[in-house]
Amino acid sequence: MIGFARDGAVVSARFTSDEAAILVDLASQLVQLLSERGGDATGDLLFAQLGIGGSAAAPLDPALARLLPDAYRDDMEAASDHRRLTERALVERKMAHARAFASTLEHHEVSLDGSAVQSWLRTLTDLRLAIAARLQIEFDGDEGDDPATQALYDWLGYLQGTLIEVIDD
Amino acid sequence: MVSLPTLERDLEVTISEMPDTPWVTMVWNDPVNLQSYVSWVFRSYFGFERSEAERRMLLVHNEGRAVVASGSREQMEVHVEAMHDFGLWATLAKDDQ
Repeated sequence: MIGFARDGAVVSARFTSDEAAILVDLASQLVQLLSERGGDATGDLLFAQLGIGGSAAAPLDPALARLLPDAYRDDMEAASDHRRLTERALVERKMAHARAFASTLEHHEVSLDGSAVQSWLRTLTDLRLAIAARLQIEFDGDEGDDPATQALYDWLGYLQGTLIEVIDD
Repeated sequence: MVSLPTLERDLEVTISEMPDTPWVTMVWNDPVNLQSYVSWVFRSYFGFERSEAERRMLLVHNEGRAVVASGSREQMEVHVEAMHDFGLWATLAKDDQ
């Protein structure tokens, strides 16, 4: 990967086919993970279309719990109500960004417009949050004990940091 | 991406229109998100100036949390959802302090 470059509103980067395959695979795993919360819990089609009618309980999986946090910290009832009404739509949006991210990687030389940059920033964040939960990174400075996964996590952080740099001036 | 009014303007509207205790949106520190990303989210979503976004990002980093918006409960729920879209850890609460 030879860094992001910006030309006007378009950001481009070139990946090796291995790198692109890894990113597409990670995005697909993220969609898979999120789909555990996207099931039609109530069986109500209208609710499903509106994005409500989801689960009221926080996910047990720490990666999902971090991707879909409680909106209220000290009020479990409000947190449950809010989650039931909004979580499904949040899951749908995260999945849509992950799919958009993967679709830009069909060519190893990616060219991102403003909307694709948004999908990249959000999906890179969600991937890092999910991997950090697997690595049990809980505090600033923590490192995982699986070197390969840690290296992947660091690489995603490098991608995100350099992407922010090119859009940020 | 929409640019929303600054916190100060939100507060003026809140105080003049709503006698109730305002609600606040808080962003919490996490060991994953990059400082540059958090700062960029604060600027691009809330419309903070660069220096103000940096200040609040550092509050999150050093103090563990920072208030990023204040207003009605409904407004704060929208902000919290937006922060969760960005992957930031945010909650809303009544501003009791």
